[in-house]
Amino acid sequence: MSRWVSLIVIAALVSPWLRSVLPVAAVSPFVALVSAVAARSVGIITLIGLPMLILAVLVPRVFCRFVCPVGFLQEMAARLRLPGRARWRSWPRVGRWFLWLTIGGALAGYPLFVWLDPLALFTGFFSAFRLPTTIATIGAGALLPLAMLLDVLFPGAWCKRMCPLGALQEALAIAKQSLANRTRATDESLFSCPHSPVIPTSSPFALARRPLIASLVGGAGALLARHTAAKPPPLRPPGSLPEDQFTGVCIRCSGCIRVCPSRILKPDLGQHGLAGLLAPVADFDTAYCKEDCNACGQVCPSGAIQRLSLAEKKRSIMGIAKVELSRCWLAEGRDCTACIRSCPYEALSVSSDGFDSHPALDASKCIGCGACEAACPARPERAIRVFSNNLTG
Amino acid sequence: MIPLSHAVARRKLLQWFASAGLGPAIGSKLVADEVGAAKGARELQPTPVEDRPHYPAFLRDGQVIQPERPLPVFRETDVLVVGGGAAGFAAAVSAARAGVKTMLVERYGYLGGLWTGGIVLVVISTHATQNGDLTQVVRGIGGDLMDRLAKVQPGIVNYEPGKHNPTSDPEATKFMMDQMITEAGVDIAFHCWATDVIMEGNTIRGVVFDSKAGRQAILAKVVIDTTGDGDIFAAAGAEHEQRLHAIGLVHRIGNVDRVDKDKLAQAGLKQMGSIEPLPSVRWVNLRGPSTNGLDIAELTRLEIEHRKAIWERVQKIRATPGGEDVYLMQVAPQLGVRTTRLLAGTHQLTYQESREPRTFPDTVAIGGAQNGKHAGWPIPYGVLLPKKLDGLLTAGRSSCVDEKLVEDMRLIASCLTTGHAAGAAAALAVKDNCTPRDVDIAKLQALLKEQGAYLG
Ligand SMILES: Cc1cc2nc3c(=O)[nH]c(=O)nc-3n(C[C@H](O)[C@H](O)[C@H](O)COP(=O)(O)OP(=O)(O)OC[C@H]3O[C@@H](n4cnc5c(N)ncnc54)[C@H](O)[C@@H]3O)c2cc1C
Repeated sequence: MSRWVSLIVIAALVSPWLRSVLPVAAVSPFVALVSAVAARSVGIITLIGLPMLILAVLVPRVFCRFVCPVGFLQEMAARLRLPGRARWRSWPRVGRWFLWLTIGGALAGYPLFVWLDPLALFTGFFSAFRLPTTIATIGAGALLPLAMLLDVLFPGAWCKRMCPLGALQEALAIAKQSLANRTRATDESLFSCPHSPVIPTSSPFALARRPLIASLVGGAGALLARHTAAKPPPLRPPGSLPEDQFTGVCIRCSGCIRVCPSRILKPDLGQHGLAGLLAPVADFDTAYCKEDCNACGQVCPSGAIQRLSLAEKKRSIMGIAKVELSRCWLAEGRDCTACIRSCPYEALSVSSDGFDSHPALDASKCIGCGACEAACPARPERAIRVFSNNLTG
Repeated sequence: MIPLSHAVARRKLLQWFASAGLGPAIGSKLVADEVGAAKGARELQPTPVEDRPHYPAFLRDGQVIQPERPLPVFRETDVLVVGGGAAGFAAAVSAARAGVKTMLVERYGYLGGLWTGGIVLVVISTHATQNGDLTQVVRGIGGDLMDRLAKVQPGIVNYEPGKHNPTSDPEATKFMMDQMITEAGVDIAFHCWATDVIMEGNTIRGVVFDSKAGRQAILAKVVIDTTGDGDIFAAAGAEHEQRLHAIGLVHRIGNVDRVDKDKLAQAGLKQMGSIEPLPSVRWVNLRGPSTNGLDIAELTRLEIEHRKAIWERVQKIRATPGGEDVYLMQVAPQLGVRTTRLLAGTHQLTYQESREPRTFPDTVAIGGAQNGKHAGWPIPYGVLLPKKLDGLLTAGRSSCVDEKLVEDMRLIASCLTTGHAAGAAAALAVKDNCTPRDVDIAKLQALLKEQGAYLG
């Protein structure tokens, strides 16, 4: 009976999110912390997650207990538990490693495993329904069900052992505890909740050794990841962090892809290397990045896409247009001015010495919105295309 | 004194009245009686100029004065189409096919305007992607013309199913337009240059034209201005805009199959023109400076400068290794004036409107996509209809659009479809005895569909 109740509760919890584009993951203190560290900036959206971080210091596992939808789903799923032995105690505590690798990575500008945040998994699952069905999107959507399945089979395996957000809260509790240890004896009653971590009572140095090693490894991994950023970088949404950080800070929630009214943002299906998998790429096949829209930055929970005002957005450079004269209709002698007319920033004009005419670009006015590319009639390949120049790494 | 025939005697008398300043009222009545015998009779020839009364202009106080005078009425018709370009051709055929008496006057000796005389041969945006499929939007009169061209050799290329933006042969196009115009029963007069309008209050009642047979009048119930330059609506005082645009001159070169493209490209000669139905022949576009296409001095200067530039360019090709066999086949008889006057219509269609999905209650044509990939854009009747003036419609490159949409509206494809719409609307106005402004839109759309037009 209770199984049915659980299923209904799960369904009730899940269904409202199917169409939402709220930046849910911004609530996660893990996302807030590592993306702020990686981007070296604190945006409005970070401020949603930080109070939760402070709260987590005061109340152990507060997020897991009161906020995390995945935790709640797990609890519900746990009630579906199939008869058998629970063997989660033998699972390694990989969550800590994810945490420290990611923090170390964030310090080096590239938070390696931020995408494992439970809220990222949660939103990723719902996004999968709205994205084209590919192996990559199915893979992303499968992470949440997988985590839940794991917990059904091995209760607590995900939440207590693997979740990096859980590990973060645990680490905060440990830090607080070890500080307290210096002044007074351990107060066991603090950790009366069922999720309470096992607190080792060793020296601060011993406590810090493993995180330190993991962070160093994470930092090295981050430098490596940044070094291997796709070159030239793919076209990212307006206001995106530099490419060598973007793929790290982006948690793959697909909020931007779903909110984009022009539908120019598509999940990267591996065309630009593994690092960018499922991150948003802009594609100007049929539409362009409208001058009166900044929706993607508004919903980005991690700040991978910065929040821009409309005025800032109109100056934010996504890329730059380039004309290939061998394909250009105007250069071929047709009276085509499709790209010139389409440009909202008046960056293009006709250049002509009579017989030879072509579109001329004023690079100082072009922000790479893609209007010209979308309008270009040349096929199969267009004569004017936008190329990313947001490379800094 | 040699006795004059009665008619000539009457004319002399008339002349006397007129020059005595008593004339106009009586005179116009008499002239109308005399030449007005033409009413409805197509075969009637106008009186030779020599036999008509003379009213030469004269100098008074250093000013050239044109005396008031009655004009012979060359024809009286239901619908008068002025200008036989792509738009005028489609308008005349549509009106005639709808069963009203239709007349077309054209200043030159052939139909097609810039398409055939300007040697602008590629009909861009004949198609659009509608509901996921490449769909021909230029149907009806324009579609009929292209279908017929597809049956002759050399007629039209890239017109097979699945293709779009066909290129037609100018001579085949002229010939086929002649055929369709006469077949439809349009009364056509070449070598007639419309110079003025006949007004009755706010309503246009006809036009005045000059010709080898002198200055004469044509009376009509509805006039369609497809001169491309809005000569008629401007003369009638209709609100309009005047724009500057690049003015070029197209030429054609032959033996293009024998050139070595790479060698020529090295010499900076890249543009070798666009294909045509004729083998080894290309038409070469020239953009030219942006200037006023209504200024005689500019038009004259550009004819000379462009012809010189063309001559020198072909000489340069011939002097370049790999281009020796190329020859200048033709310079377009018509200067490439792209845009001059645009009517201030009851609806100014904007580029923005054309790029967003929308419909209009008064859609009378569908504009195509230059690359065939985008959806068609509905064209409302209001772009053809003057704000205040009655009895007149425009179509083609002078239709009411904003600066950016000019580039789509002036394409041959949109000229054919808006011309078709104007012709059908004029016919309906005549049939329903109303002004074009009051035409029943549902009926107009039904007539257009009946004539094969595509309205989405
Ligand atoms: C250089 C150039 C390149 C172009 N390239 C392309 C292209 O690649 N593809 C494309 O689709 N379009 C192109 N265009 C545009 C297109 O050719 C024209 O806009 C279109 O043909 C205009 O058709 P129309 O019937 O509106 O006007 P027109 O073709 O100008 O027809 C007007 C007719 O009216 C006659 N006329 C004018 N005044 C009078 C008068 N007062 N009395 C009597 N008759 C009169 C003229 O002789 C002419 O026959 C180009 C235009 C130019 C100039």
